[in-house]
Amino acid sequence: MDNMDYAKGYWNPYVAGIALGLVLTFTFYVMGTGLGASGAVARTAAVVAHSVSPEMIEKQPYFKGFYREGAPHPFVDWTVIEVIGVFVGGLISVLISRRFAVGVGRGPSAGVGLRLFMAFIGGIIAGVGTRFAMGCTSGQALSGGATMVVGSWVFMMAVFATAFAAAYFVRKEWS
Amino acid sequence: MGPLLYTGAISYETGLWLAFPIGLMFGFILEKAGFGDSRNLTNIFYFRDMRVLRVMFSALVTAMLGLIALSYAGLFDYNILVEDSLMKSYFWPQLVGGVVFGLGFVIGGYCPGTAIVGVASGKIDSIVFLIGMVFGIWVFAFGWPIWGNFYMSSDLGRITLWQFFGTSKDLMALIILVMALFAFVLARLGEKWGPYNE
Repeated sequence: MDNMDYAKGYWNPYVAGIALGLVLTFTFYVMGTGLGASGAVARTAAVVAHSVSPEMIEKQPYFKGFYREGAPHPFVDWTVIEVIGVFVGGLISVLISRRFAVGVGRGPSAGVGLRLFMAFIGGIIAGVGTRFAMGCTSGQALSGGATMVVGSWVFMMAVFATAFAAAYFVRKEWS
Repeated sequence: MGPLLYTGAISYETGLWLAFPIGLMFGFILEKAGFGDSRNLTNIFYFRDMRVLRVMFSALVTAMLGLIALSYAGLFDYNILVEDSLMKSYFWPQLVGGVVFGLGFVIGGYCPGTAIVGVASGKIDSIVFLIGMVFGIWVFAFGWPIWGNFYMSSDLGRITLWQFFGTSKDLMALIILVMALFAFVLARLGEKWGPYNE
């Protein structure tokens, strides 16, 4: 059996879930929309590419949507500001829980090199996936799920079915 | 009455000011749930610790019932949500996006929001994951000639599960609640089963 000390010291998952659900309820009450995350990464990808070649990105069929005439900077955006809050909120929790530790999360017998390589590859794949789905676990599965959006439930089922099936093939990374 | 932005009770600028404190609470709770560590996020797929399922479904059900309760209390206009602010559904792109994202999730060990909390926790793998994501978004953007048309295909508009199945919002919410409770029981059984345990 794995030594799972790293999984101790957190909130009861149902308590965390209900707290998260209340924040999500409040967000819908105020904004009419839910929480997000991947949109901020997409805007970062646009801004980085734009800093290299502004003319090309302003004409690029996908990225040009972030650079419309008269639109503010792509970072002046609800989800981007919210994600800055996510970082600070996570940092506050890590610090008060005395959990901050530089390291690499991986299975007990997996090497650091393998894990970082897989994190990069997985990041690329997930990045592509978020654009087709127009969101991720936060925007689609959680927020769309709570408002019973058809496409969000399709996304959520596809995510979990695929991840459970694919887990077998990458078990060395996590064990 | 909510949604405050849509009923004109607050301006978009005020909404922007609320993004930071809302994100702050979101990130704090994600960290307290253990989601700053990729192991806690991927353990679900190996039936070692199903906390991802527990947190996610209890959050989903809480918000789902919370909004219905607010609407019964006359504090939230659910019709505005359904007609004006609900996300649109695109069947095939979201199905394919889900398959691709699920693969990226189990290989990469994070999803976007939790990777941000991973960075705050000092996890190098979360930084690498986010850099990978930026590359992935470039792949998507520059592959537009190949899949740009597909991306906007099978547009179902703003559609909810209860409209799709021709039932009422309350009955649909009840079905989802029962499904979630059933999933919580299955999660416990899955951990006892532990197919990947030595």
